[in-house]
Amino acid sequence: MKSCSDLPVFPASPSRRAFLRGATVLSAAAAAAPVPAVAGTGKKQWAMLVDVRKCIGCQACTVSCIQENAVPEGSFRTVVSTYSVKLTDSAQPAGTYVLPRLCNHCDNPPCIPVCPVGATYKREDGIVAVDGDLCVGCAYCVQACPYDARFINHETNKADKCTFCAHRVDAGLLPACVETCVGGARIFGDINDPEGELASRLKETQPQLKVLKPELETAPRVFYIGLDERFTGKVEGQGTLWKPRNLPHA
Amino acid sequence: DPVSGDFTPNPRQQVSYTACLGCTTQCGVRVRIDKASGQVIRVVGNPYSPLSTEPHLPMKVSVKESLVAMSRFQDKGLAGRSTACGRGNAAMDQMSSPFRVLTPMKRAGPRNSGQWQPISFEQLVKEVVEGGDLFGEGHVDGLAALRDLERPIDAEAPELGKRVNQVAVLTSVNDGRENFSRRFWNQAYGTLNHVGHGSYCGGAYRSGSGALFGDVKKMPHAKPDLANAEFVLFIGTAPGNAGNPFKRTGGMLAKGRAEGRLDYVVVDPVLNNSHNLAAAEHGRWVPIRPGTDGALVMGMMRWMFDNDRVNTAYLAWPNLKAAQAAGEPSFTNAGWLVIAEDGHPRQGRFLRGSDIGMAVAAEDKYKDADPYLIATAGGELVAAETAAEPAVLEATRVIELGGKPVTVKTPFELLRESARAQSIDEYSAICGIPEEVITGLADEFTRHGRKASAVAHGGMMAGNGFYNAYAVVTLNALIGNLNCKGGFVMNGGGFKDNGAGPRYDLETFPGMLKPAGTPLGRNVPYERSAEFKRRQAEGKAYPATDAWFPNAPGLGTEWFPGALRGYPYGLKALILWSCNPLYGITGVRPLIEKDLADPKKLPLIVSVDPLINESNAFADYIVPDSLMYESWGWTAPWNGVPTKATTARWPVVEPKAVKTPDGAAIGMETFYLALAKAMQLPGFGAGAIADMDGKRYPLDTPEDWYLRGGANIAFAGKAPVGEASDEDLQLSGVERIRPQLEGVLKAEEWRKVAFLFTRGGRYQPASEAQDAEQPEWQAHRFTKPLWLWNETIGSARNTLTGARFRGCAQWTPPAFYDGTPVRRVHSEADWPLQIVSYKSALQNSYSIATRITGLHPDNPVVVHPADAAALGLQSGDTARIRTPGGAAECTVIVHEGVVPGVMAVEHGYGHRELGARAHRIGDQVQPDRPDLRAGINLNELGLSDPTRGGKVIWVDAVSGTAVRQGIPARLERV
Repeated sequence: MKSCSDLPVFPASPSRRAFLRGATVLSAAAAAAPVPAVAGTGKKQWAMLVDVRKCIGCQACTVSCIQENAVPEGSFRTVVSTYSVKLTDSAQPAGTYVLPRLCNHCDNPPCIPVCPVGATYKREDGIVAVDGDLCVGCAYCVQACPYDARFINHETNKADKCTFCAHRVDAGLLPACVETCVGGARIFGDINDPEGELASRLKETQPQLKVLKPELETAPRVFYIGLDERFTGKVEGQGTLWKPRNLPHA
Repeated sequence: DPVSGDFTPNPRQQVSYTACLGCTTQCGVRVRIDKASGQVIRVVGNPYSPLSTEPHLPMKVSVKESLVAMSRFQDKGLAGRSTACGRGNAAMDQMSSPFRVLTPMKRAGPRNSGQWQPISFEQLVKEVVEGGDLFGEGHVDGLAALRDLERPIDAEAPELGKRVNQVAVLTSVNDGRENFSRRFWNQAYGTLNHVGHGSYCGGAYRSGSGALFGDVKKMPHAKPDLANAEFVLFIGTAPGNAGNPFKRTGGMLAKGRAEGRLDYVVVDPVLNNSHNLAAAEHGRWVPIRPGTDGALVMGMMRWMFDNDRVNTAYLAWPNLKAAQAAGEPSFTNAGWLVIAEDGHPRQGRFLRGSDIGMAVAAEDKYKDADPYLIATAGGELVAAETAAEPAVLEATRVIELGGKPVTVKTPFELLRESARAQSIDEYSAICGIPEEVITGLADEFTRHGRKASAVAHGGMMAGNGFYNAYAVVTLNALIGNLNCKGGFVMNGGGFKDNGAGPRYDLETFPGMLKPAGTPLGRNVPYERSAEFKRRQAEGKAYPATDAWFPNAPGLGTEWFPGALRGYPYGLKALILWSCNPLYGITGVRPLIEKDLADPKKLPLIVSVDPLINESNAFADYIVPDSLMYESWGWTAPWNGVPTKATTARWPVVEPKAVKTPDGAAIGMETFYLALAKAMQLPGFGAGAIADMDGKRYPLDTPEDWYLRGGANIAFAGKAPVGEASDEDLQLSGVERIRPQLEGVLKAEEWRKVAFLFTRGGRYQPASEAQDAEQPEWQAHRFTKPLWLWNETIGSARNTLTGARFRGCAQWTPPAFYDGTPVRRVHSEADWPLQIVSYKSALQNSYSIATRITGLHPDNPVVVHPADAAALGLQSGDTARIRTPGGAAECTVIVHEGVVPGVMAVEHGYGHRELGARAHRIGDQVQPDRPDLRAGINLNELGLSDPTRGGKVIWVDAVSGTAVRQGIPARLERV
């Protein structure tokens, strides 16, 4: 029996999908796609892939991070910057661009050399961490981070930032932001585990991969699909759909 | 352990599956709790719940395995990710909010003075039941005296009902506990008036859908099958930005567009998170002028009719049997004949068998047994219900009725006339969407067979919202997508807790009352009222005193102005249960706040609520209610889940409110139980509940009700659910309520009900969304006709003008009740701009005092650069919005994400309460949080209806729903 499938077939028309085709497609990467391979040490190396196409800007990641890590009011270890972008090359006047931001856990982190007391360090598993006992709260690292990922926690007076939820990861769990990502945009795992979801996704999508500010050669461990270079730094003159308190870059 | 998958629970914590109440989606969540302190540490999704996980875990998976499934072990936690949204993550902050009401309170000054006196539970119950000189302002009747089941409200108008109807209950949304409230107020106390918030939420969309689905009271509706769709048109609704089910919709949209399977278009005056430039080749925003969606859609329809893109083969099947035989899982009334003769007394009604001499018993004339008719290709008129052949869709003819020639037409023809009333370029000029985009949308919409659909929601709350919504949903009928995989699909529904079994009869009880009368919202025909008969006898049946809404459900929008003016009657007592009409009903506050503060106008206001909001600040008493993870309840998804699902709410932490003398926490249930006992109402107390053998059990505690409801759910269907293991009980924290489970339920029941709590509900497997025999058909199908022409709409009259409403989709401009276009009253010269509201991705109307506020502190008004430039305004500037209904200072944010001429206001800000004002309770003063007052509330800028004397708010004339889209306004520099 036929069922819901006796589809009338219409000839292609000039207007076919005109209203979708008219939309801007983000330009191709200017820089070469990063190669997310790490020297074959076989050691765990944590990393994240953010598929911006899947982000719905709901800030579940932002709030879960705040709750999980008791981030003080007005500070963020991760946040999704949300922009209304004026479009001049499209049939629609503006579009929404979202950009989940967090510490990039760089392989070449500019925050480490500037720390006068050696409080900021890179763990063996690639996580960039802060030893609170050593930190003097001088904020050099906050200045040095090109991704605005660090802040001085006004409750502890220490440098604070995303840890990839190391306490959870060490316990066999996912970072809070990944676990609660409604669009499924955030993928977390070990770059060196070829069987793992992260490594296979990175491999599959390699030509589309980008990182924030590749020209700084920080070798970020946070990779993006659907990244638009216009929004990778501090954004001036673009409308934000709304604005959190005290946030430098949105 | 991520390598072995071994699981070591933290002995100091429990992880419990229950429901979120951060918004009305009520997702299943998992709540991590510190056992020692009872504090909620974090909240994420419940992997068994389809509202949080796609696809959700089968019920047979043990609790332990479900927790492992959320971990890094084999990347299970990525594949089976179970989420909470931003608000769902933040909502736990409410639990320890300093603004919670934890003890019964009585006002210690005038209404809305912010001064309260804590009182004992015994004093509360005594005063509310017995009344007296409660406030030193004179005698107030208590609920016992007001339960007058004998005397009519008005002897001259007996249809209004008994005086008990002058006690009314307003609530918000069924949070899984409404059945208990209805048992008390409707079945035991006896009042007719118990309504929710639909008429000031998305009611216009629901009414438009109800017209197509043939039930304007229950208003069935369908949703796009986003898991399988190829193309979806969202008009006035923002998938992934807001809506219900929020996460499920957002997640499936993200997946569909990233995989490249799904294309979608969002039509809305304002840009939001439903668009994403990183996936721009699969989604587009089409800006539209507010309240003109009907023009766009009728333009699309016109193109579809003119270019043979309407699925006429589908539309011609006149009943389900014939349609199914042809492979169609749904059908319409497109071919049923309608009396279209101008001035005929039955104009707008369907032609029936008895009209053309079919044998129909006299008492069945024009009722169900009197068949609808179609014309066959052979020229005969035959019964629609039994025809095996298709109807002729173009069947206009003149037949003889009662000796007179009468024109009949088909709904197909009437709809096509509607669509052809204007040209596409005229429609384009109205809605501001270029002609080629209108035809492009129509073309694309009709290119995917059944794997396309069109849906709407809150954007329909305009002054013509009903017809705009009816038009949008009718698009679906024209391509025949209902019940098709990838098309327009029905909700799977829930398992019934308060039914007549299979374990306990929670539906009926001895002495049960059946409330009767005219509902306060006048959502019944004026033509059946004493007023109509009187005016008719006087020779002028129209106009009535005011508007009536026979095709609407219960209308909270009409309650306050109506009750405070005494039309159709006044109220003696109002119960506000977890609702906030003064914040939420557009335009109502300035009209009623003075009267509401006057006990002479409304003698008793009792609120049951965990917080003090803009509405219950006017209450005489506030009774604390349980909050979120403290409550019992059985909830079903509102829509958008194709499989059957019921979410269990249970107190995963001890409720914080003070205890009754019996040791139970004070809340809605314990308060109503005490009222029932004090008034000796039926349906409560000893022997109130019967099992299937007729053995009787008490209803003395909340557990008596909810656990037996759980037994009905656990045993529903072909086979009951499994039994919870001791390990399940331990890991999920259900062990804590084991004494109640074993105490209330039978030996063979309690572990099955515990099974529901350990899994957070009962959920049909995800794989059963489609029909086992017909994989292209949905399993849960709508089996009644879709009404291209709805005769209850098409035969109803405007009670001020007597004019007939049109019974099918049409374009009609936003208007006041008597049909006067709003722009004729408030001209563009005086009010050059319009304001619209849009739902926040984060904030709702009651989440203000949570961590969301730091993240998203206020709601700057979105202004188009052209409009801002005219005033020299830039982002961050302060300005004043003025409408004919009010004015408010706001901050502006300037960008192209809004239609020129429109200002967009995000919902959820501009609070006066919920922490925005510090109340004094006894000798305690709440914290002062000026930041919670930030932003503006569009609902304070709404309009009154000058065609109804300016005494009531502006509502849609058919659906009675509040108008918050397209309010005339101007912007001023300050």
